Amino acid sequence: MSKPKVAFFDFACCEGCQLQVANIGELLIDVLDIIQVVEFREVMSEKWDGEFDVAFVEGSITDEHAVKRIKKIRERSKILVALGSCATIGGVNGMKNSFQLEEVGRYVYGEFYKFFPTIHTKAVHQVVKVDYFINGCPIYIPEFVTVLKSILQGIPYYVPEYPVCVECKLNENVCMYDRGLTCMGPVTKAGCNSWCINNGNICYGCRGLTINPNIEGFKEVLKNYKIPEDFLMKKIDMYNKCKELDKQ
Amino acid sequence: MKIEQYRIIEKSKFDDFINSLITFSKVVAPVYKGFKNYIFQEIKSAEQVSLKYIPTIIPPKKYFMPQRETILQFDVNNELKVEPIVEYENLVLFGVHTCDIAGIKCLNMVLSDKPKDTAYLIRKKHITIIGLECNDYCDEYASCSFVGAHIPTTGYDLMFTDLGDYFIVHIHSSKGTDIIEKTGIFKPAKDNNIEELRNLRAQKLKIFNNEVPTERRYLPDLFDRSFNASVWKELEQKCLSCGNCTAVCPTCYCFDIKDDVDLTLKVGERYRIWFSCQLDPFAKVAGGIDFRKERSARQRHRFYRKFRYHIDRYGMVFCTGCGRCSRTCMAKINLKEVLTSLIKESEAKIWRKWL
Amino acid sequence: MAKVVIKDSPYNVKRAKILDIKSLTEKEKLFKIVFEDRSWLDFEPGQFIMVSLAGIGEIPISVCSSPLNRHYFEICVRAVGKVTNSLHRLNVGDIIGVRGPYGNGFPIKMIEGHDLLIIAGGLGLAPLRSLILYAIDNRRDFGEIHMLLGCKTPKELLFVDEIEEWGRRMDLHFACTVDRADPDWKGNVGLITSLIPGVDIDPLRTYAAVVGPPIMYKFVIKELLAKGLPVDQILLSFERHMKCGMGKCGRCQIQNLYCCKDGPVFTFKEIMDMAEAL
Ligand SMILES: Cc1cc2nc3c(=O)[nH]c(=O)nc-3n(C[C@H](O)[C@H](O)[C@H](O)COP(=O)(O)OP(=O)(O)OC[C@H]3O[C@@H](n4cnc5c(N)ncnc54)[C@H](O)[C@@H]3O)c2cc1C
Ligand code: SF4
Ligand code: SF4
Ligand code: SF4
Ligand code: SF4
Ligand code: SF4
Ligand code: FES
Repeated sequence: MSKPKVAFFDFACCEGCQLQVANIGELLIDVLDIIQVVEFREVMSEKWDGEFDVAFVEGSITDEHAVKRIKKIRERSKILVALGSCATIGGVNGMKNSFQLEEVGRYVYGEFYKFFPTIHTKAVHQVVKVDYFINGCPIYIPEFVTVLKSILQGIPYYVPEYPVCVECKLNENVCMYDRGLTCMGPVTKAGCNSWCINNGNICYGCRGLTINPNIEGFKEVLKNYKIPEDFLMKKIDMYNKCKELDKQ
Repeated sequence: MKIEQYRIIEKSKFDDFINSLITFSKVVAPVYKGFKNYIFQEIKSAEQVSLKYIPTIIPPKKYFMPQRETILQFDVNNELKVEPIVEYENLVLFGVHTCDIAGIKCLNMVLSDKPKDTAYLIRKKHITIIGLECNDYCDEYASCSFVGAHIPTTGYDLMFTDLGDYFIVHIHSSKGTDIIEKTGIFKPAKDNNIEELRNLRAQKLKIFNNEVPTERRYLPDLFDRSFNASVWKELEQKCLSCGNCTAVCPTCYCFDIKDDVDLTLKVGERYRIWFSCQLDPFAKVAGGIDFRKERSARQRHRFYRKFRYHIDRYGMVFCTGCGRCSRTCMAKINLKEVLTSLIKESEAKIWRKWL
Repeated sequence: MAKVVIKDSPYNVKRAKILDIKSLTEKEKLFKIVFEDRSWLDFEPGQFIMVSLAGIGEIPISVCSSPLNRHYFEICVRAVGKVTNSLHRLNVGDIIGVRGPYGNGFPIKMIEGHDLLIIAGGLGLAPLRSLILYAIDNRRDFGEIHMLLGCKTPKELLFVDEIEEWGRRMDLHFACTVDRADPDWKGNVGLITSLIPGVDIDPLRTYAAVVGPPIMYKFVIKELLAKGLPVDQILLSFERHMKCGMGKCGRCQIQNLYCCKDGPVFTFKEIMDMAEAL
């Protein structure tokens, strides 16, 4: 069997997730044993004009040009994977959606903003069909590897439907709330193995809200800990603004 | 109290004891992690041990039934080759409180019920439990006396009780005797030592009160009346479904089973990993039907697992009163308070019937 | 950390070979399976096995063949997700892992000597087929046998050849309905519940065995009670998430019952007062 042809593409994002992939270290050799990377701007200049078995797409869709480009990529790919928060949930780019588009344009491009048409930031699945989601800002490499294996096995990968606290407790971390800090773990999708908390940081919610989060209950908790409510809403907005488009 | 089963060790010799233990076995003990948090972890010297500690973040169940545990290994390179396995090591758990010993007894009950969980039983056989009696409450969350887990009974190899300048040590098994002999630091107990232990126990009867305004034997009735209690509805709003209360509970043992392969996709393992009835996917089936969709139903399920269902099945209350669930809950859902509300509501109902 | 092989682990699986695969519908395939060591799967109708594909996962599946068949056993699998889709990709001769059987099946000894009313919705026919085949093999031990089958469309009908044969038999009362007909369909149209009022049974002598999608139960039970069936003569098989199959993992728990161990077949009486059951 020939190795599946894999490509990486970036849209509006910091390319941090691709950088994570490029720097996976020891694993790289094993990974390259099973896939053939045909396009990856972060590490190579070659381009490929055939079909992709797997396309990893990083970044969110923020203008008409990007919409066209992602649709083309979709057509050329058997499997399309959204890589990182920008691609899976719109990520930080989604914050743009809190403002009027004109206002955003003016802010970024000054008085020439009309020459740079912009649209609401969209996660990739809000434009084309996505087969696999790898959340995180940046992505968590072990999860990337798990997804890659699932793809090669031809089975779905289900993003955990529970919050980061679950993994955090299995890792027996001292809870950030006991340290007097605020942590987004209780309302954030797991899958990162509570990476940040293991390393002494709070969870800042980069993977997006878990399914069915109890936001009202969480506000109560923050009240008990004397944390202003808009702190939470701001944190939630930071990554989840595009979610509103799912509802429309 | 048979005096020949007791030994004493002066506190000044305690460090020697631990350090000697470390020379011939891997030793795990409570260690301080800051911010009033303790965890059981391997110790390399006696100073690391916290003798005065409140229940650890995760109970010692993690050594009996690890968070993630390989149950099968397979290789499909040529044709399917499967091997069920267990990983274990000789371990001495030092400083286990009586509530956590009660928790291990609950796990024993379930996992030695048929079909037996072979891996658990093998691991258990290689663990030595040295208990440490509490002379006073760890903190306000505890309800160990309500469930009768505040006094040592069984389930340990050695039990240390602090009697001021010295510990009195109860030997409960030949594994315990081995340790006494190998470390060679202990002295036989005398009548006055036993007398002091009796006094302490009498004193404890005064300190440890029933923390919940009912008695254990009324639990089945109470819960039979409480399925539709309003308390559950209140939890609906509060609970975040984070699963922390179950992850830290010494008697929770629900798990998921998953497969993992290496990058060749041919070799891998099947493992079991702690899971929780508080989480969304737990009771979901195909078509998105969820038999416990509401957070209130899930919380109710947790309480019934502790205080009702397992009384019928295993004849035991599955709560040790360790207080971990209440301590860890960000939403401040407190086990003692929930039980108290249930009792009040249920009493009110009974009175209404009478009047 | 020492690592040892424990052959007597309850999670150990037996190697089993796929003898034959038959497509029943677009979504369902029938697998004929035999243990490699030629041992016999000793099960009761209504019991299930855990089927595993190394590296992919393990799922509960009802055995759908006759328990008296000593040569092989059969499972009927609908492709819905990870393991089931992967099973569908297998070929004859491939090896799978099996452990079990698990659970309590239909209480055959209790049913014998009584009339039997079988109500199967969709894939519910799989576990019931085992009971039907058993009853047919031991026809004289049962009284009247009624069968009501239902599914969404004629295309989704399982075991079409067998159904035709059952329909022709003199010693079975048989009716079949689809929710939505297609032009070739000559049978009944409507929900399975619509067939119940019409069956001619002696309710006190009859055991009803009902298996279907969760939403079906409430309506079917209502009709059966209206017919006058006693609550302990209505047998239901439940579907829950199952991971261990042995009453440990907690996934399948309905109040104090474990679906895998105490069920999956329950009498209506056992669960009628239980929230979270239906
Ligand atoms: C006692 C018993 C007997 C049974 N008998 C049979 C039988 O005879 N034949 C048969 O075909 N089936 C039977 N089933 C059902 C069968 O066990 C399930 O269909 C099977 O477990 C599905 O496994 P899977 O890995 O293929 O699906 P999964 O991949 O686990 O998914 C199943 C469905 O849930 C969704 N899903 C699951 N997890 C997630 C997630 N985290 N995120 C998003 N979506 C998710 C999937 O999209 C899919 O639709 C039986 C079940 C029980 C309990
Ligand atoms: S540190 Fe954060 S993720 Fe961990 S348990 Fe506490 S709130 Fe949850
Ligand atoms: S812990 Fe939180 S912020 Fe950190 S990777 Fe996980 S989801 Fe993102
Ligand atoms: S710890 Fe508290 S908030 Fe979290 S699931 Fe348990 S009761 Fe709910
Ligand atoms: S329910 Fe709470 S108090 Fe009881 S054993 Fe579990 S964690 Fe401890
Ligand atoms: S709950 Fe009771 S036995 Fe457990 S640590 Fe606290 S006081 Fe000791
Ligand atoms: S499947 Fe594990 S308890 Fe029923």
